[in-house]
Amino acid sequence: MIPCPVSSILRLTGKLLVVLLLTWNIAAEAGLAIALNSAEGTISLIDTETYEVTGKVTVCKEPHHLMPTPDDKSVIVACAAANQLVFFDPVSGREQKRIRDISDPYQLGYSPDRKWFVATSLRLDRVDLYDPVDFRLKARLPAPRAPSHMAFDNASEFVFVTLQDSNEVMAIHLGTQKIAWVMPVAATPAGIVMAPDNRYLLVASMGEGVVEVIEWRFQTSVRKVATDTAAHNLQPRGDGRHFFVSNRTVNGSISLLDTKTMTVVDKFDVPGGPDDMMVRADGKELWATARFARKVQVIDLTTKKLKISIPVGSSPHGVFFLNHAGLR
Amino acid sequence: MISAFVDGFVELQGWLLDRVVQPPLLAMGMGSHLEMAFDGVEFFLCGVLQLAAAYLLLRPLEALRPIEVWTDRRAVRVDVLYSFLDRLGVIPLLMFALLAPLFALVDGWLRFEGIIPPQLEDLVPALESRPLASFVAYLILIDFAEYWRHRLSHTLRWWWALHAIHHSQRQMTLWTDSRNHLLDDLSSGFWFALMALLIGVPPGQFVGLLIAVRTVENLSHVNARLSFGRLGERLLVSPRYHRWHHALELPTGRQYRFGCNFPVLFPVWDQIFGTQYLAQEMPSTGLSDGPLPESAAQSGFWRQQWEGIQALLATFRPNPHRR
Repeated sequence: MIPCPVSSILRLTGKLLVVLLLTWNIAAEAGLAIALNSAEGTISLIDTETYEVTGKVTVCKEPHHLMPTPDDKSVIVACAAANQLVFFDPVSGREQKRIRDISDPYQLGYSPDRKWFVATSLRLDRVDLYDPVDFRLKARLPAPRAPSHMAFDNASEFVFVTLQDSNEVMAIHLGTQKIAWVMPVAATPAGIVMAPDNRYLLVASMGEGVVEVIEWRFQTSVRKVATDTAAHNLQPRGDGRHFFVSNRTVNGSISLLDTKTMTVVDKFDVPGGPDDMMVRADGKELWATARFARKVQVIDLTTKKLKISIPVGSSPHGVFFLNHAGLR
Repeated sequence: MISAFVDGFVELQGWLLDRVVQPPLLAMGMGSHLEMAFDGVEFFLCGVLQLAAAYLLLRPLEALRPIEVWTDRRAVRVDVLYSFLDRLGVIPLLMFALLAPLFALVDGWLRFEGIIPPQLEDLVPALESRPLASFVAYLILIDFAEYWRHRLSHTLRWWWALHAIHHSQRQMTLWTDSRNHLLDDLSSGFWFALMALLIGVPPGQFVGLLIAVRTVENLSHVNARLSFGRLGERLLVSPRYHRWHHALELPTGRQYRFGCNFPVLFPVWDQIFGTQYLAQEMPSTGLSDGPLPESAAQSGFWRQQWEGIQALLATFRPNPHRR
C-alpha cells in the first residue's frame, strides 16, 4: 500500500512536535532561576544558561525567602509584609496560586518527614507550625528575639531556629509543638544547618564571623570556625561533606567549610554582600544574591572566580533553580 | 544613563555601609540590623539628593522671583538645620527607634490573638501585580490620611501647641517644611504607623512615595512667585495655595476656626471637606496670636523645642480665657 502523503506528513509533524516539546521542557527545566528582590517586591526570572534576565514580575511586599515544595512542582515565595505565600511554577516562572493570611512569613522549611511546614516571623518574634497539606496553623510559639533561619534533625523530631537578636538557638519539639530548649550561641546567629552526620548543628554568626559547631543533643558548643566578617548563611555543596558559607559584607566572600574536619578549606571574594546561595547540580557554578549590590553573582567553582554579575532588583535575597545540587 | 546613575548610587551606598555603618554595628552586636542600616544609608543619600535638588532648583527661584525680600535672613537658618536633621535621617531614625518596637509589640499581640492586620491589597488584589496603580493608590491614601493628620494638628489644642512651631516662621522658605517640634514629628510618625497597621505599609516604591511627597512639600513653602494656573492650583498644592494655610490673617468672614488648605498634595480634600480658601494675593505668614511667645519666630532649635513643651503643658492647665 502506498502511504498517504498527508498522514505521513501529519505523523512526522506530530513526532517533531513531541520532540520539540520534550526538548523545550528539558531546556526550560535546566534554565530558570528565580531571584527575590525583597525591597521592591518583585522577582527576577533569569535564564541560567545565558544569564539574561528574561522577566521581572511584581509579586508582593517583601518577598525574602523561597523554597520548593517536596514534589518540586512549585516554588513557594514567602511574602513577609503581605502575609502571603505565593506559589510559582519553577519551570516557567508563572504564578500558580496564593495563600493569604499566613502571618508574616520570613523563612520557610519543610520537616524531612514532610509532616510540618514551618515559618519564622523575624519581625514579630514568632515561629509558626503549619499543616503542610492545607497550610492551617497548628501552633504559634513566641520566639524572642528575631527568629531567623531554621534547620531540622534527620528524624524530624526538632526544628532549630536561630534567634538573631538574643544570640540564641531555640529547639522546638515538633511532636509536642513546645519549646524544648534554648541555648546561647555566638553573636547575631543567622544561617543554621544540620551537618550530614546529624550530630552537629552549624550556626553562622554575623557578630563574630564564625561558624559555630554545636553538638545539639547535649546543647554544647564544641568549636568556632572562623570564616570572615559577618558570616551569614550556609548552603551544601551537594557532596555530603562541604558547605559554602556566605560572609555578607559589601566586600564580602564565600568560604568553603569541610564538615569532616570542621575547617575552612577555601575562600573566594564575592562582592556586594553575598546572602542566599544555590549550587548547580553539575557542581560547576555557585549562585549568590548580592544583597547590597542589586545583583546575583555567579561564581565559577572551577576557577573560583566571579564569572558574571546579573543585575536584578533592590535588596535581592532568596534565589532558587530546580537544577541544583541539593538543599540539605 | 539612568542605569549608570543607579549603579553609582548603589556603589556609594555600599561603600558607606561597609566603611562607616557596618563596623560599629558589628562591634555593638547589632549585625542583624545591617539590612535596615543599608536602607537607612539609601534614605540618607536620597536626602542628600533632595536637599541638593531643592537648593539648586528652588533657591534660585527664591532669589529671582521672591514674594518677600528680607535684609536679615537669620530666622531662616534654624529651618535649614531642621531640614538637614529631617532629610538626612536623624529625626526619622529617632522616631523609628521610638515607635517601631511599640507597633511591633501591638502587631505581634494581634497575631497571637489570631488577628492579621488588613492590607490594601487584600481588598484590591489587582494592585498586587500593578505597581503603578499601587503607587497611585497609596499616594492618594497617604495624602488623605495626611489631610486629617494636619487638620487634627490644628484642631486638638495639645497638638496645635506643638504644630504652632511650624507656623511661627515669618520668613517662610523652601526650608520651612521640616520646621517641626520633635513631639509633633513623633505624633505624625505615630499617625503614619497607625495607618500602616490599618492598611499595610506601602509597597516597594515607598522611597518614591516619600520623594514625591517631600518634593511637593519643599515647593509649597518656597518664597517665590510661582503659579500653577487656575486649573493646576486646584489639582496640586502650589506655593500660593499653601501660603494661605500659613497666612498671618485671613479676610473677614473667611476664617475657618482652625485654618484652611490642609492637604500636602491634592487640594481636592479641602474641596470635599469645605476647608479650601483660594485667592490671588500672596499673604504674609506667621502667627498673629496663639500658644507660642512672639520670640518663637526668631528662636533657635533648642529654645523652640522648649517653647513648644511649655505651650503643650499650658494646654493641660485650666484657663477659662482659652479659645
